[in-house]
Formats: sequence, structure tokens, C-alpha cells
Amino acid sequence: MAEARDLFKEFKVQSVSEFFRRNAAMLGYTGSIRSLTTVIHEAVTNSLDACEEAGILPYVRVEIEELGKEHYKVIVEDNGPGIPEDYIPHVFGKMLAGTKAHRNIQSRGQQGIGISGAVMFAQITSGKATRVITSTGDDEIVEAWVKIDVQKNEGKIVKKIKHPNPKRWRGTRIELEVKNVKYVRSKQGVYWYLKLTAIANPHAHIELVEPDGKLIVFPRSSEDIPEPPVEMKPHPKGVMTDDVYTMAHRSKRSTVRRFLVSEFSRISDKKVDELVLYIAALRLINREVTDQNLKSQLIERLANGEVEKVLKSFGRKWKKVVEEVEKIMEKPPEKLTWHEAEEIVEAFKLMKFLAPPTYGLRPIGEENIEKGLSSILRPEFVTAVTRPPKVYSGGIPFQVEVGIAYGGEITNSEILRYANRVPLLFDAGSCVITSAVRSIDWRRYRVESFDNAPLVVLVNVVSVHVPYTSTGKQSIASIDEIYNEIRLALMEAARRLAAYLGGKYRRLYQIRRKKIFEKYLPEIARSLHILTGEPEEKIKEYFLRLIESKITVAQEGVSEVEVEEGEA
Amino acid sequence: MKLKRGKPKEKFSYDPQKVLKKLEDLAYKILEEVKAGKNPYFDVPTRGLSNVYFDEEARLIKLGDKLSRRYFLNVAHARKFMQTLILMAYVKRLVSEGKHASLREAYYANKHTIPGTHENTFEDQSESDPIIEDLERMLGVLREEMHITADRRGYVYGDIVIKDGEDEFNASKLGMGGWAVPGTVEHIQFPEINVDYVLVVETAAMADRLIEEKYPKRERALIIATQGQASRGVRRLIHRLHYEEGLPIIVFTDGDPYGWYIYSTIKQGSINLAYLSEKLATPDAKFVGMTMDDIKEYGLEHVTEKLKGIPPDKKGGPTGDYKRLIEELNYPWFQNKEWQRQLKLALKWGVRIEQQALANKSLEFVAKEYLPEKIREGKLLP
Repeated sequence: MAEARDLFKEFKVQSVSEFFRRNAAMLGYTGSIRSLTTVIHEAVTNSLDACEEAGILPYVRVEIEELGKEHYKVIVEDNGPGIPEDYIPHVFGKMLAGTKAHRNIQSRGQQGIGISGAVMFAQITSGKATRVITSTGDDEIVEAWVKIDVQKNEGKIVKKIKHPNPKRWRGTRIELEVKNVKYVRSKQGVYWYLKLTAIANPHAHIELVEPDGKLIVFPRSSEDIPEPPVEMKPHPKGVMTDDVYTMAHRSKRSTVRRFLVSEFSRISDKKVDELVLYIAALRLINREVTDQNLKSQLIERLANGEVEKVLKSFGRKWKKVVEEVEKIMEKPPEKLTWHEAEEIVEAFKLMKFLAPPTYGLRPIGEENIEKGLSSILRPEFVTAVTRPPKVYSGGIPFQVEVGIAYGGEITNSEILRYANRVPLLFDAGSCVITSAVRSIDWRRYRVESFDNAPLVVLVNVVSVHVPYTSTGKQSIASIDEIYNEIRLALMEAARRLAAYLGGKYRRLYQIRRKKIFEKYLPEIARSLHILTGEPEEKIKEYFLRLIESKITVAQEGVSEVEVEEGEA
Repeated sequence: MKLKRGKPKEKFSYDPQKVLKKLEDLAYKILEEVKAGKNPYFDVPTRGLSNVYFDEEARLIKLGDKLSRRYFLNVAHARKFMQTLILMAYVKRLVSEGKHASLREAYYANKHTIPGTHENTFEDQSESDPIIEDLERMLGVLREEMHITADRRGYVYGDIVIKDGEDEFNASKLGMGGWAVPGTVEHIQFPEINVDYVLVVETAAMADRLIEEKYPKRERALIIATQGQASRGVRRLIHRLHYEEGLPIIVFTDGDPYGWYIYSTIKQGSINLAYLSEKLATPDAKFVGMTMDDIKEYGLEHVTEKLKGIPPDKKGGPTGDYKRLIEELNYPWFQNKEWQRQLKLALKWGVRIEQQALANKSLEFVAKEYLPEKIREGKLLP
């Protein structure tokens, strides 16, 4: 156990900035197209989050200028709350310093690297500092050039100018110069990323100026600013050793017991007593039992709740071990060792807890999904379903929502994947969203072939811990609970689509019918005129009146009495 | 047996006004329905075998009473509804102007692009022909009465006076070719008839033979050559000569399933034109030959030919002549011992005998011995 501690110390010593340099790929900075998208993503996410927290309807403008081959300047400007001067190095310079790191909160941010990662990427590809222009709306505008001190994991302002702010401009504009990136209008590119972001954030006005000067606007379609997510205490089933260790060391509680009770959900004093027994039992098993079969038998009994019986099976010494463990609970949390944290998590896995609360989840909402899809894709039909929150792996709350947009300006089929509103652009094949959408028999919903239909399916998986398949965080793992929820949501939305298509086809059919009848009128009128002498115009009028009265092209459907069709 | 002209059972009935009235009545019905806000329709007697039956008493193939309604407000019917009205209007013009048009002319005269569309009123003659048939069935009038003529085929030779419009002539004084039967015979009248019966002959070659042998004059017969399957004009002419002029009808065809089918059509009508049987068919017609018995009787065994197709007891059979023979065996109007015998013999022997085979005896044999003998002795099939 001492080993583990040393290892971790070593890890801590290593600068996170250096870690970034070595693991740029893992953080989304891989490939020239994706790297650019990641830079934009970090900046836009920052803007949206800041606006959300400040209760501002976001306006985000992204400009991309081509400076040379694989060499671009990226400008992202928002109308957010602005950054106070003192915080600039902190926000843009320090990694893992974001307000959300180590908080159990649903977030757009991916790795806690955030915008500082983009600053870092700019710095290591172009060598240039990031230019930040910001104001909180007071009488001055701060213009600062920020770099990251890779050794100290600190941001530093290399140059700073202050300007007067007579018009009380408020917001933040950042300019990054990046190399080894490429602007392409592909499904992995910036355009697509912003389009998808706009769909999932209908309250945001997003603009993009492409390298060739073309301006693309994704206008705001909703005036509702989403409520900022609420921090939820983590559920014991949803934490790993690292979480417990880090949380304990940050905790200001007096004892480990108090720390556990107050910083986790569903842990009471009684549960801590139970935890002590479990840890003691695990210690005894690990210490005394060498036979693997017996070991797993005993652990199984623990999982079945027979902790006291298991303890007693070790004879009188069990009480001593329990006393040992109880001592852990009474020491200050910052003294908790990595190994002890590991023991706690091990015990959590075997214990039973109430399901976690779900109040902290922030779905986009049915109405806003519909608005987003309508305004960006201009479909003729749109519907959305937000499922009630569910739990996966016994302790992690999640929620699924889907949107379906059909027809109109949509020309082909598309699956738009989101995790916590963030578009997932890569690794579609391994994503549970893709497999769930594919598993639907779309023909049952009047969609002849999914691949050829003008049909866009949006799926957003909301969770404090979205189970990604890999560190790239671009695809969601196939967890049964999530898969089933996506399917249920899709089927509900698809049923509405089917009902719409039914009505639509009926209406189209009626219009077509009417046209058929009307087009024959001149011939019929002429002939009947020859046969009966009635004026042609009058005959036409009679027939038109008949058609109008018998065929109603209305939302409600058909009023026509369909006659039996004989042999013709 | 001496054949004699009998008493007429029907009167010359051609009246253009009747056709016009029927057309207008139907058009007014449509107009009134539309005015009343009702979906207008035509009741069209159903075509096809399913709506055909054999009337034992009248001895005719008749059209059943199945109707199909052709509505205007029905996507599947609307076009035909329009086409029906177009052709009704066209027929009205033809009849009132006293002009005649062929089926093809009727098609071309009414084919045009519907204003404001890229659609033609008729795409093909196969669209207009059935509508004209529908009109015949709906109105109960012949196409010919609507001044739309069919293909003309067949000719007449014999001592009768024919009045065709302005022209009057004797059908035995037009040369050996006789008088070609027009598409429409409705308006034809017969001011003078100096024959005792009508001999309907399948092949032109045989008719020519008989004319050359002066058979019509000697036997007081009117020869009608059908030249294969009898055209509507010929069938209508036969019908009228029998029912309006009282002339007995005797049919003379090849001794094979096709020849017998020609007879069957003249006598009972056809399935396709079942709705016209009462005007086209002549159930009183009799059959003189050729028969299977003729082969033995006149020693023609060596001039028979094999039936075409595969016999029923061979693999893939029956086809061709055999197939038609078996069908004819099942015809209600062939359910008598005479016909069953002929058909079964043909099936058994697998042979056919042509009219021209009689030339094996001598050229004049058919005119001087075969026909006069058989007719005199009443060796006729029903």
C-alpha cells in the first residue's frame, strides 16, 4: 500500500501541463481536423457555461482565419459575464482548475482541461500566446496575452493592456493561433460541430465566419436559459478510489465518518457502521484466506449481506479488526490513505444503497429540442421525448432524450449524438446511441428505409458520469440500461412520426386526388356540353362544387365516402 | 328436305334517333347527379367470362347482370369516366351528321392533350376500343348503330337486291366477287329476295368454287363468305337475314375445331360479345359440314390432316387443336349427341378435314353432290 501512495505522489508531482503535452491525443487533440474542432469546442463550451451560470442568453461568434498551410487564427467571442482581471491567468492557464473539476456535476466540459487545453495547444503548435479581451461590463476592457508555464502548471500574462470601456461592453473574446489543424466542412469539422451545438442549445445564438469569409448564423430559437446544473453528492456506487481520495483530501470535515456522511448521497451514520464491518471482513478475507474458491465464496456472502456471519467465521479476532477500521473513520479525512480509499470503494461495491437522487440532471427538454431542430434543420415535422431519469450500474443517474425531425429541408438521414448536450462527432460506430437507433425497425413507423429517409434522429444522454467507451470521450458504452432507455424514447417519438406521416400521406393523397379530378374537368365539361347543351362553364362549376364538397383536404382527415370500386 | 324462306320474326329496326336519345338520357342523368351534389357514375355491365351465361331457352350466350359502377370521384375511374363522356359526345356527332368512323378513326379523332396537362385523352387505341364496347353494353346498342364500324370482312353473292343508302343493286350481278359486306349493315335493306336459304361458307376459296359452279343460282342460295371468323358485320347480316327476312341459315366450315368454333360463334354468339348475342347470333343456324362422319361417308381418309398440338394423353397436352376440342366438348350448346360424336371422333382419330379436301373427288363434287345431297337429305347438325 505504501507503493500505491508513492506512485500517486509521483503522479501529483508530474505537471499536468506536461501530462497534456504527452497525452494531447487523449484530450481530443488528434488529427488536424479534430484538433481544430476541439479548440472550438473548449472555447464555445466555456462561453455557454459562463452565460448559463450568469443567466445570460448567449451570443457566440466564431471566426476562423487561414494564415497559412494548416495554420489558422481562431477567434471566439461571447456576451458572457466577462472575466475579472485577476482570474485571467487562472481561467486560461491552469489545467484542472476549472470550476467543475472534482465536482459531481453534470457538465459540458470533458476532461477538466477545458480552455486551458486550447491555450496549451496553441502554444505548442504555433508558439504564440493566446490573446484575451474581456470586460465584466465595467469601465475598462482588459486585453491580455496568456501563456502557460508548463513546468509550474500556471498561466501567466505575458502582456497586458487596459482600454476604456465607454459603451460598457461585456463579454470575452479570445484569439488563438494554431498550427497543424485544418478547416474542412466535414462531419467532424467545426461547421458541423457548431450546427449540432446550436441544435442542442436553442437558447444560444451562434455565428461562424469560415476562412473564406462566409458567415453562417444559427439563430436563437428559445428564450429560456437552462438552469445551471446542481451539484449532486456522489453516490457510493458511482465513485472510484481516486474520487474518494481526492474528495477526502479536499474535505473540511473533522473525521472520515463525517466526510462520508455529508459528502456522499445515501450514506448515513448507520451505513458507516456497516461500512466498517465490510472493510474489516474484507481485510480478514484478504489476510487469512489463501484459497481463491473460498475467498470468492466469502465475498459472495458479503454481497448477500451476511457480513456479521462472515466476520464471526474468523473467530474472536474479528472484533480487533473492526476496532482497527473504526479508527480510520475517526481520523481527519486528509489523513485518509490511497489504500484506505481503495478499501472503502471495494466495500461500497458489496454494500446496498438507496438509488441516487436525480434532481441534478439537466436535460435539454422536449420543447427546446423541438425548437433547436426546427430552427436549424427546418423540417416539416419535429417531436422530442425526454425520459424520466434512470440509474445505471446501481448508482449512477442518467436520463435520455431524443428528438426526431423529418422532411422539409432535411434531405438524408442523420444520427446526432450528444452527451450532456455536447455533440459527439467521432467513433459513431461503437456508440450505444448508434446501435440503439439502428435497432429500431423504422418500417414499423412508416419510414421505409432509415438510410434513405429525410430523417434526423437526435439522442442526448445526460449523466453526471457518462460511460464513455474510451478516453477520447466520443462514444458512449453499451450499457443495457442506457440502450433500453434510448430505444424506449425512440419508439415513443417514432410513434408520433408514424402518426404524422399517416396524416401527411392522407393529405397529400387527397390533394393529388383533387388534382386528378380537376384536370379532367375541361374535357368532361366540353363533352357534356355537346351531349346536353348545358353551358361548359356551368358544368365545370357543378363539378368543382362536387369535388369541393366530397374531398376535404383538412387536418382531421377525409370526409369523403369512399365508394366501392368495381371492376374497371 | 326443301329449305324455304320462313316468316320474319324481327323488323328492320335501324333508327338513329333512338341512339341519340339513349346518349342524351345518359348524359342528363350524369348532369343531374352532379347538380344534386352526388358522385356521378356509369353502370357498365361487367365484361369477361364471369358475367356470361348460356341461356338454354334462347340458346344464346348472354351477358349476366353484373354491373360495375364507374364513378367520377374515384381515382381509378376518373379517367375512364372522362373518356366515356368524350366518346359519347363523339358518337352523338357521328350519328347526327350521318357519318361513320372506324375504331381507329374514333381513336385519332378524340386523341389530344388535355388542356393544362401533359396527359392525352387517349394514349392508345387499346384505351378507346374498350370504352366503345362499354358504351354498347351500357346503351344496349351496337357499335355499328353508333356509326363506328368494325373491320370489314366477308362478301355476299346471290339473287337478292340490296339497298345501301342511295344505291340499289342485285348481289348476283356484281361479278364473281359479289358484294363486300361493309362494317355496318344496320342501314342495309333488302327490297327483293329470290333465294331460299343462306349458305355461310368459311373460306373464300370454297365460296368462289361454289359461285363458279353456279351453285347459288341452281340451289337458290345466298352465299356468304366469312373469310375466317365471321366479322360483326357478317354476323349481324346473317342475323338480320334470318330474323328479318326469314331465311334459313346453313353453315359450311372446315372439319376442325376452328371451323366448328366459327359455327358456334354465328349460332350462339361469343363470350367477348355476349352482350350483343341477341343482335348478332342466330341460334336457328344449322351445320352442314365438314364433319368427321364425312370422312368415312365420302372416303376422304387419305386427304385428312393431323390435328395440331399435343393430345391430352401426351406429356404437356392438351394444346392447340386438342385443347380447343376439349373446350368445345364442354360447351353447353354442343351438349347433344351429334356434336359430342363429331368432337369425340376428332379427338379419337386426331385428324381434321378441310372443305377443299372435297376437291379430291372433283372440282364440282362439292357443288353438285356433297352440299345438295346433304341439304336435301337433311344431314345437318343442330
